[in-house]
Amino acid sequence: MGRSRFAEALRPANLLGYALGIFFLLPVIWLVITGFTPPKGLGKFPPDLLPWPPSLTNFSRAFGENDFLGFLINTVIVGVVTTVLVLLLGIPAAYALARTAMRGKAAILIGLVTISMFPPIGVIPPLYVGLRTIGWLNSYQALVLPYLAFNLPFAIWILRNTFREVPEEIEQAGEIDGAPTWRIIVQLVVPQAVPGIFVAGIFTFVACSTEFLMALSFNTNSDVQTVPVGIALFGGQFEMPYGTIFAASAASLLPLVILVLVFGRWIVSGLSQGSMKG
Amino acid sequence: MESLGSARLDPAPNRVPARNLDPWPAPSPPPRGGGRARRSRRQGNLLVAPALAVVAIVTLLPIAFSVFMSFTDPAAGPDGFTFTWVGTENYQSVLGSEVFRHAVQFTVLFTVITVIIEMSLGIAVALVIDRMTVGRSFAIASMLVPWAVITVISAQLWNYIFNGVYGIANALLMWLHLIDEPTSFLSTPNSALIALGMADVWKTTPFVAIIALGGLQMIDRELYQAAAIDGAGPVARFRAITLPLLRPALVTALTFRVLQSFGLFDLPFILTHGGPGHTTETVGVLAYDVLFGDLNFGAGAAISSLTTVMVLIAALVFFKVFGFAKEVADRG
Repeated sequence: MGRSRFAEALRPANLLGYALGIFFLLPVIWLVITGFTPPKGLGKFPPDLLPWPPSLTNFSRAFGENDFLGFLINTVIVGVVTTVLVLLLGIPAAYALARTAMRGKAAILIGLVTISMFPPIGVIPPLYVGLRTIGWLNSYQALVLPYLAFNLPFAIWILRNTFREVPEEIEQAGEIDGAPTWRIIVQLVVPQAVPGIFVAGIFTFVACSTEFLMALSFNTNSDVQTVPVGIALFGGQFEMPYGTIFAASAASLLPLVILVLVFGRWIVSGLSQGSMKG
Repeated sequence: MESLGSARLDPAPNRVPARNLDPWPAPSPPPRGGGRARRSRRQGNLLVAPALAVVAIVTLLPIAFSVFMSFTDPAAGPDGFTFTWVGTENYQSVLGSEVFRHAVQFTVLFTVITVIIEMSLGIAVALVIDRMTVGRSFAIASMLVPWAVITVISAQLWNYIFNGVYGIANALLMWLHLIDEPTSFLSTPNSALIALGMADVWKTTPFVAIIALGGLQMIDRELYQAAAIDGAGPVARFRAITLPLLRPALVTALTFRVLQSFGLFDLPFILTHGGPGHTTETVGVLAYDVLFGDLNFGAGAAISSLTTVMVLIAALVFFKVFGFAKEVADRG
């Protein structure tokens, strides 16, 4: 039994699959190793593949002298606030597009897909002018507002697909009882659509934590900057402090990687749903 | 929010379906034909309005304003911006500049090269994972890691890998005896393009692979058995069954990849910063440099507007060619 299982694991397709998996992981493994390499070992050529003993110097530089924790906290604040707002606005909109008899649903959906493909650079000059005019540059809301608008389309798309899978009898029962629509959504539809809501939330949070162009353009004060900007601006005057950069990077990627591994199946379904049905 | 707000709601929804067994007709809703549909329509408009308003105010309105800005010479003062109308001056200087034309060419070239590689590789990876019987979740999980990696971090990482003095790419190529001494990848245009391409392919092939895998898993396995009985070989089966049935998934992946690639910013900004010279400068990087480097908001708005227009045209072409919009409309 165990033997045939072992033989099965060694089939060519499986071996090739492991190799591909490792290939895609290798750069990240190299990042983590570099983070633990003592600063002296960083300039070596050829580099040590497994510097021993591992050193925590880079981490203490990233979180001590460079106060990287602040960037992480800012990222979590912006990401969580945006995600909550996206769901608050996205769930009713998606319900309307999935279930009501409103006109122009197809046109709205096509418009949303098109907008979600727009390059962010197209709105940088006007948004910068607008944010500066109302005194919002260098603030959390300078990022929350555009992230909200740019992530709503895809979230609405995912949520709408999920809501369409919810059996209609459940809502009809509520309608017969004359419940207001918002109660039908909150009490009857949302509990049936938790996986899809999670997918929309995770996609929004990941997008907010990785966005760079707006974060770089709108917030120049390090008190409100997010992780990507912090990592990008680590550059030294003469030499790139790679050890510090990758220690900070490894710490920032850890929560994202855990999120992805825990919710992997849902993310895969979200990616293929968002695509299969549109 | 709604006129029936005061109506009762059964506190235990799971008891509600029992009503369907009720031999007497339910007292509500009133069976007036159009009223229900009209109420549902109004309800839908109300529910969708806040989200659409935010999206329109933060994306569509600024794009329109950007077009206006591109015909002016914006100047930042203590009381905000002032806009002096300059006509097509910004467009003349942008469209006439060698740097802009090169940025457009490079962006298109980079998009074509990387998307072709990512689509082929992504399909191949999906075919392998689809055939895996053991360890499939490991393979999928490792695909998701590059997808979730912050692009800025990926750019710093590949910059380090391709470092001309101590990068591991040099060590690997020397170990394979492909080169004799470390080369400075990022200081010649062609190898800088290869470095950028590798980083992009590593990060986005998993996206294509996962979408293609989703498509593969929806294909009925019996089709393959039937084709095999009819004597179709693996290549014939791939062309007759896999590719056509995978088409919707591939079209979506292709559309997303091409349009995203047009706005490419993070990767070239960090990895090469458009260098050496302007050789790997994308439209996005150029726009940023004009806006925040030269502080030329008029020309910057012109480049931004042109980028939006190019992406919009590309999107319309894709929708038209692949019947994308029609599919949405049918499902809507």
